[in-house]
Amino acid sequence: MATIIDLHSHSEASDDSRAPVGAYLNWIKLRRAERPLDGIVLTEHRQYNRAADYRALEDQFDVMVLRASEVETDYGHMLVFGVNDDILRRFDFSNVRLPAQEVIDGVAELGGVVVPCHPGRPTVGLCEHYETKPPLENVTAVELLNGGSRKGENERAAALVDRYGYRAIGGSDSHMVSLIGLCATRFDADVRTIDELVRELKSGRYEPVDFRPNRPRPRRAAPEMAGT
Amino acid sequence: MAVDQSLIGKQFEATEPVVVTSEAIAAYCDALGDENYRRPGPDGAIVAPPSFAVTFRNTEAFFHYTPRFGRGFDAGKEVEFFAPIRAGDSITLTSVVREMYEKTGRSGTMTFVVLRSTLTNQRGETVAHVDHRFVHRNPGEPG
Amino acid sequence: MSANTGRHFDSVAVGESLGPHEIVIEKPRARAFAAACGMDSGRFHDDEAARAEGLPGMIIPGNFSLGLLSKLVTDWLGAGPGRLTRIGTTYRAIVLPERRLTLHGFVTHIEREARSVEIDVWIENEEAERLVIGTASVAFPPTD
Repeated sequence: MATIIDLHSHSEASDDSRAPVGAYLNWIKLRRAERPLDGIVLTEHRQYNRAADYRALEDQFDVMVLRASEVETDYGHMLVFGVNDDILRRFDFSNVRLPAQEVIDGVAELGGVVVPCHPGRPTVGLCEHYETKPPLENVTAVELLNGGSRKGENERAAALVDRYGYRAIGGSDSHMVSLIGLCATRFDADVRTIDELVRELKSGRYEPVDFRPNRPRPRRAAPEMAGT
Repeated sequence: MAVDQSLIGKQFEATEPVVVTSEAIAAYCDALGDENYRRPGPDGAIVAPPSFAVTFRNTEAFFHYTPRFGRGFDAGKEVEFFAPIRAGDSITLTSVVREMYEKTGRSGTMTFVVLRSTLTNQRGETVAHVDHRFVHRNPGEPG
Repeated sequence: MSANTGRHFDSVAVGESLGPHEIVIEKPRARAFAAACGMDSGRFHDDEAARAEGLPGMIIPGNFSLGLLSKLVTDWLGAGPGRLTRIGTTYRAIVLPERRLTLHGFVTHIEREARSVEIDVWIENEEAERLVIGTASVAFPPTD
């Protein structure tokens, strides 16, 4: 059974969001016909919200809530899925200059997975860093569709995916209730826990989905351009 | 660049009271395109729209005491409205540095400074809290 | 924008839309707003001064965006008993005059006991990029 999850969202636990988790879930319930989400992942900025317990809200709205983090590195922002005590001991998520390659490799070694997000965004996206630095190794996937992207940013992400053969996810990057689920990821498998999410992200059996109204999906580069 | 946290809690001297005129409210409403607030309220006084509260500032004192990292911008505001501002009111501003932190965004590594201004009227009533979020791009950083 | 005789708490529903309203802010109006706010920086008044700062031209002050989004909410409330109690804005990108902008809002949350309403608000450009985002809170009296 396929599972559709918004892999990138921020609740009021992030410094720049005022969206309560309950309001997100209520919105998803109201807009399910347009944005048929099974769950969301809260990727709070520079922190892991270890103490949060959303089980009552999950039951009330029948929407899964998983927790992850968005960290800041020398190659831009990255989503960290499968955060655990070992990862938190090794990396200080409040550091805005984390070494990206160490984070990717260290998190993988400790059971998680790292996905660079909004790669087409200036300064905080992978594309710009690849212009001046060598490409990162062991990148599992990147965020091809980001609901907060400005014109051209998702298109740059598409070119990156084509060039390097990365797998692709989608997420809304919502900081406001009504924007939740505009972009998401459809997994072939049933995903119910963060461990299953990490396993599936490594498997590659998923694709980004775009629920933004009237938006064309970013065009991939022509096949002959790939690898250039 | 590490953020100098020593300025958090820094209080600024209260501004001299500013008397709100009906002309000042009208000029604000005309530019905003707001006709509703030009009609006098039940007590006969012109009432300003809530957002008029952000026109009271003491940024000169703020920038005098806080470091400038380069080109500064208004990154956003958080405003709580407690009482309306009427023509004839006399508004005093007191301000304190609430937060300083770093993050990275489209413009590179940036330092954010949050300054809370409290607006008080001539009756000693708190009219509004305005949290100004200023951002400065750090010099010498990528982006 | 049609006249609104007043919104009452019991008529408000999650998902309700404020706007969308399209506007174009001409340069003289942007300058007048900056002047009314005592904002004398050249970036709000003059293309050349703005370009000297690396901007594409004179920009609309963040306070103007905040004022427009506040007005979106107060127009929606109309002459009813509801009161704007809070607004928070984040300026994600510069807002330029003489461009078509669209103001959007949605009721996202209602606290029945507190009789308060949370609203998402934002300003989009012609490319549907959200230049300014924010949230607002509205309070209604115990009975209206």
